[in-house]
Amino acid sequence: MSESDTGERSLVGAKEEIIHDHNHDGIDRRGFLKCMAWAGAGAFCVMHGGVLHSYALNGLGGFGGHKPKGELSFVQISDSHMGFNKAANPDVSATLQAAIDKINAQPETPAFLLHTGDISHLSKPSEFDTVDQMLKSAKVKETFFVPGEHDVLNDEGKQYRERYAKDTQGAGWYSFDKNGVHFIGLVNVMNLKAGGLGSLGSEQLEWLEKDVKRLSKSTPIVVFAHIPLWSVYPDWGWGTDDSAQALGYLKKFGSVSVLNGHIHQTMQKVEGNVTFHTAMSTAFPQPKPGTAPSPGPMKVPAEQLRAVLGITDVNYVQGKHTLAVTDETLS
Amino acid sequence: MKRNLHIVLAILFALQIAGQAQNKSGVTQDAKAASVEVKIDNFSFTPATITVPAGTTVRWTNRDDIPHTVVSDDQKFESKALDTDDQYSYTFTKPGTYPYFCSIHPKMTGKVVVQ
Repeated sequence: MSESDTGERSLVGAKEEIIHDHNHDGIDRRGFLKCMAWAGAGAFCVMHGGVLHSYALNGLGGFGGHKPKGELSFVQISDSHMGFNKAANPDVSATLQAAIDKINAQPETPAFLLHTGDISHLSKPSEFDTVDQMLKSAKVKETFFVPGEHDVLNDEGKQYRERYAKDTQGAGWYSFDKNGVHFIGLVNVMNLKAGGLGSLGSEQLEWLEKDVKRLSKSTPIVVFAHIPLWSVYPDWGWGTDDSAQALGYLKKFGSVSVLNGHIHQTMQKVEGNVTFHTAMSTAFPQPKPGTAPSPGPMKVPAEQLRAVLGITDVNYVQGKHTLAVTDETLS
Repeated sequence: MKRNLHIVLAILFALQIAGQAQNKSGVTQDAKAASVEVKIDNFSFTPATITVPAGTTVRWTNRDDIPHTVVSDDQKFESKALDTDDQYSYTFTKPGTYPYFCSIHPKMTGKVVVQ
């Protein structure tokens, strides 16, 4: 990996190294993040035999070199905010369509889509209808959802559950298995208390504890929820009051990936066996923590909008402990 | 005759003053209750704390480019989701302290003190 004098990045052969291996299990989480931090959008870090390789993605979303054999690949989209029409993006349908087009252009169809919430902007039936209609054009076989706070307005989430969470518990939490990976969809946008952050609640936490009890510690876990499950920026409500308890139930597992939305920008953090990652929005960006008076929609010049919106590709290679997570902007 | 006229004028004058009711805080009111405005913008309620006499109607107007709600901490009053330029009003008839927040963005809090 090197940067030329003009500042352009190029891949000069894959770099191999293990940097940190605190758990002595060949899992190189910090190295993984370092690889991703260098690579940024449009590149890809995958584990082979405990060693990191980086691969460049060409402009069409394909692989610029040797393609790793992925066992499971899926895409996360988030914060489509159908119905939003203010200056930050007067046409959120167009940008959602661009995201779907990007997914459809991938050389291999993803197994499914994860939508991490704020599907709609005002919980209006027409807004949900529009997103449902648009997602029909995505090549994926199925889409899994968790609600954002914009999806449960005025009706305690009744509409959301009827549309997206028919076979779930409580406010809409659930789990499922794909290719040996255990996925857990959590709801942390209900019953929010004054002055508080996101909230999972005792009923959901009890369910979570039971749900993972029987799983072996080598089962890879993917948790997805709307509001970040770590303290990104509490002043702006970017965190979940009782997430520590949830993560406590997942402590035994060798690989836990947490996928969130809500903050409309990518951010990641590693904490022991847990890798946290937030996705971009397909509707509008929000400012970095503390860089603006409030976390509202951030206006950028029109020609730059699609460079701050995007999707997240996730690739899981069986037998390896970490998911490869790559963010792709819309342009 | 002149004395009767003076009495009539005095009574009329007294009635006119009585017709212009003034509450204790000195705010002039019409026959219906006064309305106090709270602005919602930039993820905050402004003014964050207001003090009003019992019988006042408080009106919230959302000037932000994101929807917000007005929900009392004990659920005594609760607005629907307010989009930009939407309004919500509530009349406070009983004295007391009424903390409230936005249920979509719960870090946004405000307080109505009713005297």
